[in-house]
Amino acid sequence: MKKTLLVLVAAGIFSIRAWAQPTTFPRNGVYDERPQLYAFTNATIHTDYQTIISNATLVIRNGIVESVGTGIAVPTGAVVTDLKGKHIYPGLVDIYSDYGMPEVKKEGFSWGAFYLRPPQYDSGKKGAYNWNEAIRPENSAADIFAIDAKKAEELRKLGFGAALIHNPDGIARGTGAVVHLGAGKENEVLLKSNASTHFSFDKGSSKQIYPVALMGSIALIRQTYLDADWYKKGGNKVERNLSLDAFNQQRALPAFFEANTRLNILRADKIGDEFGIQYIIKTKGDEYARLDEIKATNAPLVVSLDFPKPFDVEDPLDMVMVPYEDMKHWELAPSNPAALAKAGIPFALTAADLKNKADFWANLRKAIEYGLDEKIALKALTVTPATLLKMDNQIGSLKKGMIANFLITSDNLFGKTTIIYDNYIAGNRYTVTGMPDVDIRGEYNLAVGGQNYKMTIAGMPEKPEVKIGVADTGKAVAKSVLNNSLISISFKADKKDKAEIRLTGWLTGNNLKGEGILTDGKAVKWVATYSGAVKPEAPKENKADTKSAVADLGKVVYPFIAFGVENKLKAEDMLIKNATVWTNEAEGKLENTDVLIKGGKIAQVGKNLSSAGVKVIDGTGKHLTAGIIDEHSHIATESVNELQASTAEVRIGDNVDSEDINIYRQLAGGVTTSQILHGSANPIGGQSALIKLKWGEGPEELKIKNADGFIKFALGENVKQSSSMTSTRFPQTRMGVEQVMMDAFIRAKEYDQALKKYNPKDPNAVPVRRDLELDALAEILNQKRFITCHSYVQSEINMLMHVADSLGFKINTFTHILEGYKVADKMKSRNINASTFADWWAYKMEVQDAIAYSPTLMNKVGLNVGINSDDAEMARRLNQEAAKTVKYGGTTEEDALKMVTLNPARMLHLENRIGSIKAGKDADLVLWNGNPLSIYSRPEKTIIEGTIYYDLERDIKMREELQKDRARIATKMLAAKASNPQGAQMPTPKVMRHYHCDSLFGNEGTCGKAKTFMEVHFSE
Amino acid sequence: MKKIYLLLCSGLLCAASLQAQPPIIAKPQSKAIALKGATIHIGNGQVVENGVVVFENGKITAVGNAQTSIGSAEVIDAAGKHIYPGVIAPNTNLGLDEVSAVKATQDKVETGMLNPNVRSLISYNTDSEHIYVTRDNGVLIAQTVPEGGVISGTSSVVQLDAWNWEDAAYRKDDGIWMTWPAMFSMGGRLEAGTVKKNDKRGEVMGELDRTFKDAYGYSQIKNPSPLNLKLEAMKGLYDGTKTLFIHTDYAKEIVEAVNFAKSHNVKKYVIVGGDDAYLIIDFLKENNVPVLLNSLHRLPGRTEEDVDMPYKLPAILHKAGILVGLAYEETPYNYRNVPFIAGQAAGHGLSKEEALQIVTLNNAKILGIDTRTGTLETGKDANIVVSTGDLLDMRTNNVTQAFIQGRQIVLDDKQKRLYKRFSEKYGK
Repeated sequence: MKKTLLVLVAAGIFSIRAWAQPTTFPRNGVYDERPQLYAFTNATIHTDYQTIISNATLVIRNGIVESVGTGIAVPTGAVVTDLKGKHIYPGLVDIYSDYGMPEVKKEGFSWGAFYLRPPQYDSGKKGAYNWNEAIRPENSAADIFAIDAKKAEELRKLGFGAALIHNPDGIARGTGAVVHLGAGKENEVLLKSNASTHFSFDKGSSKQIYPVALMGSIALIRQTYLDADWYKKGGNKVERNLSLDAFNQQRALPAFFEANTRLNILRADKIGDEFGIQYIIKTKGDEYARLDEIKATNAPLVVSLDFPKPFDVEDPLDMVMVPYEDMKHWELAPSNPAALAKAGIPFALTAADLKNKADFWANLRKAIEYGLDEKIALKALTVTPATLLKMDNQIGSLKKGMIANFLITSDNLFGKTTIIYDNYIAGNRYTVTGMPDVDIRGEYNLAVGGQNYKMTIAGMPEKPEVKIGVADTGKAVAKSVLNNSLISISFKADKKDKAEIRLTGWLTGNNLKGEGILTDGKAVKWVATYSGAVKPEAPKENKADTKSAVADLGKVVYPFIAFGVENKLKAEDMLIKNATVWTNEAEGKLENTDVLIKGGKIAQVGKNLSSAGVKVIDGTGKHLTAGIIDEHSHIATESVNELQASTAEVRIGDNVDSEDINIYRQLAGGVTTSQILHGSANPIGGQSALIKLKWGEGPEELKIKNADGFIKFALGENVKQSSSMTSTRFPQTRMGVEQVMMDAFIRAKEYDQALKKYNPKDPNAVPVRRDLELDALAEILNQKRFITCHSYVQSEINMLMHVADSLGFKINTFTHILEGYKVADKMKSRNINASTFADWWAYKMEVQDAIAYSPTLMNKVGLNVGINSDDAEMARRLNQEAAKTVKYGGTTEEDALKMVTLNPARMLHLENRIGSIKAGKDADLVLWNGNPLSIYSRPEKTIIEGTIYYDLERDIKMREELQKDRARIATKMLAAKASNPQGAQMPTPKVMRHYHCDSLFGNEGTCGKAKTFMEVHFSE
Repeated sequence: MKKIYLLLCSGLLCAASLQAQPPIIAKPQSKAIALKGATIHIGNGQVVENGVVVFENGKITAVGNAQTSIGSAEVIDAAGKHIYPGVIAPNTNLGLDEVSAVKATQDKVETGMLNPNVRSLISYNTDSEHIYVTRDNGVLIAQTVPEGGVISGTSSVVQLDAWNWEDAAYRKDDGIWMTWPAMFSMGGRLEAGTVKKNDKRGEVMGELDRTFKDAYGYSQIKNPSPLNLKLEAMKGLYDGTKTLFIHTDYAKEIVEAVNFAKSHNVKKYVIVGGDDAYLIIDFLKENNVPVLLNSLHRLPGRTEEDVDMPYKLPAILHKAGILVGLAYEETPYNYRNVPFIAGQAAGHGLSKEEALQIVTLNNAKILGIDTRTGTLETGKDANIVVSTGDLLDMRTNNVTQAFIQGRQIVLDDKQKRLYKRFSEKYGK
């Protein structure tokens, strides 16, 4: 023991080096280099996650494993520790740590600040670095690493011996470093600099306005890869860019992507695919809810063990605020690692994200209770991270030549009562609980002051629990302290006694003896004679609880929110009989007509159709229409707006959100297809996503395959930032908007020509820098991408038509156009579509002349007119909005319906696939319980490609099941709260529904999902 | 109509004049009128097919079947049409908010936390274009309501055909508006998860409690000196001449708000908003609390709510026996759609007549004007709408005549004028 203590002191104070050679640092005092030769004998050694050697010896010298196994001779001079009954494990590796890194001050976005001071459009970083502050590959964790003794100790206590650290700040975050968690100088603990490179979607402390949206982050990463490539191939002759230098140098390093949410995992991987990189992706622990899609990425994961606390659902009116997905996530989060393992997804585990690091073991053990194999758990904390870091020859297992990072434990590392005694890092011992000198547990006869008592010492060797049998009260729990081999005990011989008998003593052979003071102050001697081992008590832990909790787990639903489905919905062949069919074709509205659906397509429309074996739906008294198509929607997306004047490079398709409840709500209103548009914060916005509302499918499956590309432009007050008091962004006027458009397209034209002219074979030619913004604009010039332009007043509409004419491109659609009726003739001559609101007006200056008669007028002039929503709520009743054209100006009912079906299909270039009921088209249909234009009608079934995604009857059943399942989980939460009252969190409303700070529940502007104010605000 | 065409052609200032000229206000009813042959929707659930409505001097004198005596009244043939009581739009900013994005056109939010004494009627702009667009769909009466602060001010009920606010007043100073302090508040930042307990709540509640107690005490004093404008304005809450309208949506807050009003001796109170009312139906019934729902055209407040929850909420409450009204809050451009939110409710559990009742009789009750309007019954004001089809469905809503206190109003508005103007341009 003495020797070990000495080592400890040395390690703590003098920083014993791991290596034989002295370091470059001079000493103040005499050199104190020691043999550093240690042998650990009789241990159960887990040399790696799957190899266990019993009765084995581990020899380490100078911090390196010299030998491990059985039959090893202990070298002469080795300090020997007998580990009989104890285990040795390789030290754990935390592959996602901010240990030793400075705190990141996130900038965040404040709308108030945005309005009160001009935003920062340029990088604030001085020097020859990247244009965007969030791209900072030049940052190196090794450069800024500073040992943090407190945090090191915290991690060591959990069993970690090494960590990959990086500064979690920015989108391209620079390199990570591997350090061990011992004490010493940075020079000694830094194992590897430039060990990895790191990415995220979060711009962190960057004050630059771009990117503000997820899709902006994605576009920026994409552009950076392209820039780096260009730079390498000759761009460095045009500019010096230290960020791109660094970026290129890091291309071969293991690349980590902090994605966190399950859909972001898919997004991160998709970026990697574009550039031939397999990211190692850091997750948040909700992967189980999109397991198939995540497995298909083939990405190794770094998985958080941050399990949510239960909600306090005692009060039903508190409980209403807890979203179903949060309840379910609480229940299922501990099963995530097991689900990943079962799916064969490679992963490492990390203590990152844990607010209280001490939860690490509790949560890991919970994950094991929920089915995670212990071996896989160990692998995920040792070999997997080591391998991902390409350091598996140094850390993660115990083999000759590897760094002597290991743990000494009382038992199987994952056992509930197992204790980590010591954590050896680079051969140095760091005490966790410390190994007990002695094990005094046993039954004793205690003789003191003429009395005899039965004394039981149980508990753990290092923390014995002493119970003393006393006359009338059975057993008294004594207070006891064991310090080395000294013990102090105090107890009341009688419950009624006010004073205690106090004993101090020491181990003598098997027995304890010493001095004591009785309650009356009299000094006595005492002796406790060992009489045998303690009889093991029946295990106290209520395993039954855990077992039933695990057995009774709810099912994953897709998407993982309310009304998600357990099994993804499938297409069926079906025959809808005897309905009023609004064909939108020359045949018009057909009474008593049948529609046959086969293989997701409309197979036949006619009377008295029959088809053996297919499902028959009675349409008697009902109306069948094509699915509603919303030309202007902002649902199912994680972000809506970027704020630079032109952001043609951003793509809504990069951040489609398949888990948006509004998908389901709109299906209930008969919507089957939506164009998800960028917002209107800038004249040239981002690229649209065309989706079908296939509830339950992942983001990629929602997107319509082989559809044309579209892009959002915008005019008017939003792009002028009229509501900002301080905006200085160009443009501030409609005059400026014209110039933004002209400038952008002239640049795009020149760019396009340069691209076409560039000859890669010419050794002197500097390659043209791929510019994703100009790419998108060039696509417009080349008629490969199509504009839908947010527009209000006639002057600006006229302007854009002239810009387009003069530069030779086309405008596809003016969306939610309000003064379209004033320039309908001009639009007609250019064949431009008009998508509009039915009756919005008056809320700002540019809508003063908006009239509800506009769709009718434009229709009369011969434009292809659509009615769009631009509003997650209104989209649920677009049929009613279309019906307003009947009221305002007398559009025919069939024409009115086309405004939300066939006409928007034309705008989206999908009229050959959707928009009408015709053999060969996609079976995107709505069965209504009445005339589809009547306010009293509602969809009973909404069908997309032959799959019934919304069914009123099923919906009503699901409502009941939802409440039942919430109640089931609530029961579990209450049990969890009962066992740990402090561990429950009070529910708060998850969703911001109104911007006023003090009227959260007030007024309109409800958002089913937490959208940011900016998104809501700018979405019109 | 001619007058408008004249205006259209009156030279260079054409566009400006066009925007500045609402229709002429109707002269008082000079002779008895009988509307004959229509389907009469009384507003209380009853329907008379092929019926007759007679009104004289602004009041309804007879309602009944084809045999009803019409005396010497001028007959307007309404065969095949539908006749309704004028729809009532409660909780609007009509006349107070012309262009939401332009501050200069806003007269709805006074500064300060406690403003019971500020009166919306004073700001009510009878020349607002919203008024004329709104009434063209059958809305003839509105409550114009101040916003902001905790006690926002005093509302008034107006009829929508008047030269000035004085003439417009239908029920002056009918209620005091208050926003119940929310239990939760948002941080200034936009990241998700910034909702937290509202730590300023205790302070606000304390202030409210003090104010209501002081106001009650004040109301008991015969000749208070010094006069206090704020407390003076609140007097009506204690004798039932003013209703306390309380904005709140979260179930617990509704309960708190009702208990607050009761314990502070407020005679009449109404919950405005009431998104969560379906969670506390028994409480609302036991306390006889009217609920004025805001637009049904909102998303369910929570992901778990039934997808049709806002749409069917009126039916749930009505069937439970709660007096429920319907409003289209804070969006002037939507007040013309008040008939359609009733229609929406009829598509989700109410009968059409029940839905109509909600925006006529029930709204009238909530505004305390049901003895004068809200139904087509003898003795009530002749606030009447004639439509060729079902008023509550946009597919059929087509108002051909409307009468406010017997005066036939001019059904014209800016949108119709622009429509005509550009129809001319295209020859369509």
